[in-house]
Amino acid sequence: MKPEGGSGLNTRKSNRLGSIRTRLALLYSILLFGLAAIVVGGIYLSLSRALSDEPVSRDARYSDMIVEAEPTHAEGRLAAFEQEVNRRALDQLRTYSVTAVAALFLGSLAVGWYVAGLVLRPIGRISSVAREISATDLSRRIELGGPDDELRDMADTFDDMLGRLDVAFESQRRFVQEASHELRNPLAVLRANLDVVMADPDADTDDFRAAGEVAGRAAARMSALVDDLLLYAHHERTDSRREPIDASTVVVETVEDFGATASADGVVLQHEVADELLVVGDPVALRRALANLLSNAIRVSDPGGRVRVTAGQDSEMVWMSVLDDGPGLSPEDQERVFQRFWRGDRASAREAGRSGLGLAIVRQIAEAHGGQVTLRSTVGVGSTFTVWLPRFVDS
Amino acid sequence: MRILLVDDEADLVDAIARGLRRNGYAVDTALDGDEALAKATWTPYDLICLDITMPGIDGFEVCRSLRQNPPEGVAPRILMLTARDTVEERIRGLDVGADDYLVKPFAFDELAARVRSLLRRDPGRTGAVLEVGTLRLDTATHGVTRADRNMDLTAKEFALLRYFMSRPGEVVSQEDLLDHVWDEHADPFTNTVRVTVGTLRRKLSVEGETSLIETIVGSGYRLTDGGAGS
Repeated sequence: MKPEGGSGLNTRKSNRLGSIRTRLALLYSILLFGLAAIVVGGIYLSLSRALSDEPVSRDARYSDMIVEAEPTHAEGRLAAFEQEVNRRALDQLRTYSVTAVAALFLGSLAVGWYVAGLVLRPIGRISSVAREISATDLSRRIELGGPDDELRDMADTFDDMLGRLDVAFESQRRFVQEASHELRNPLAVLRANLDVVMADPDADTDDFRAAGEVAGRAAARMSALVDDLLLYAHHERTDSRREPIDASTVVVETVEDFGATASADGVVLQHEVADELLVVGDPVALRRALANLLSNAIRVSDPGGRVRVTAGQDSEMVWMSVLDDGPGLSPEDQERVFQRFWRGDRASAREAGRSGLGLAIVRQIAEAHGGQVTLRSTVGVGSTFTVWLPRFVDS
Repeated sequence: MRILLVDDEADLVDAIARGLRRNGYAVDTALDGDEALAKATWTPYDLICLDITMPGIDGFEVCRSLRQNPPEGVAPRILMLTARDTVEERIRGLDVGADDYLVKPFAFDELAARVRSLLRRDPGRTGAVLEVGTLRLDTATHGVTRADRNMDLTAKEFALLRYFMSRPGEVVSQEDLLDHVWDEHADPFTNTVRVTVGTLRRKLSVEGETSLIETIVGSGYRLTDGGAGS
């Protein structure tokens, strides 16, 4: 854990001695060298011990044969002769052994270097691809190929990760682009109005007042949009609060919050909520989701219309439903209604300062809670939006 | 010069229309694609400023349709005004027949400059300044001089003179003037054209010279160089 160990990035090219390839080659040849040294040393030692017993001069039959040839002081001279032969043989063996082990060391170093290079080549490829990938171009893949081994597995995992990152970046990019389009329109209104009125030498107070009103509208639109964009970006994160909560409380409280709005619009707001609807989630987010559905329902209802909020559960899911008797949605619109920045009627949505993110946020919150939002709608009859959430079972 | 301004942002359309009118253009407006196509079919616009993202038919469709079934007479120039700014979108816009592309938000002065530039790409005209005889009209600064004497003209008179000066020596009918100098709010049965031509003629006149704008009985008006030579 030396601190300079982390600076490997800077010395990637120069520090060859510290590379895995060098270390593998060294380890390989040292192990081989050690093994060979033990084997050769063992052979040498046992041989030298066997020879130092002077077996020939102690063997009677051989002694007798030699005694016949050299009768005088035969024993002493034979022993000396044998010792000399043994010593030379051992010397020879030692020289050969040392040479062999030295050659083996060098050879194993070369083989180790080569084999380590062979094994590590895919890693070089992986890191060179990783180096070429920048945040703006995530289309490159390693595509290692070859046998189905550990490195192939690692490269494939890396490719999968790149794929997911690519998708995430792409959706982020699209979102930023859509958001900037949405912001550009009110900005253009603001700028054109100011430019035109400022450049007009004959402009009077009324003209400036009118331009100011337009600018105020544009600013209100932009701030509503920015609020919803932040909300949307916030709910895209997965680390928001999660705790077991009673959804029925959330529903009842949200419905109460909308009582005044509904009666101001002449809409009858009813609710029918079962008790003890336990889910795991963020109460603020769930309240926001329901509030978006409710404000939509009240907006599309004619005065005298009725909005019904119901909530209940089955064995697996808790559901919260908002039903209106507004104009309903055509099948094509039903598909698009959850898309970001989709608005049924752009012009009136703009005047009301709606961002077109409301239902997209509802869907996002439902999905972040492991649930979903569904829509049933008939033109001329009305629409029912239902949020489904997994039921929390205390075990 | 008559312009059709198409955008679903009423606040934006109002401001730009006002600015362009002050620059002496006759401006009609449309708030969606259908309305734009209907108006462009009946009126020979010189220029159409077209938003892309609109309810109903979008700007690309309007542009393509106008190019495939061009209205009678000279095809209008098309300037796309849009919040979409990717290179692909710009290319697509130009490929379906737009002459120019301006990304929102824009400075009004830039829009005005592009409008001038698009409208002067007529055969034989390249600069911002029109000259007929001793009469000189700068389309960018709106300065009008006759023999170096400054003329004080209203926006409508300026627009009228600019139209005459872009067609020197040609006979221009009252219908032409209604189509290109007045907008959709002009009542074709009043004598507004005759009155404005009269005022302009009076302002341009110099003691002892023949009038620059002749009345051709039964067919219209004609701008001459007043015999000053060129």
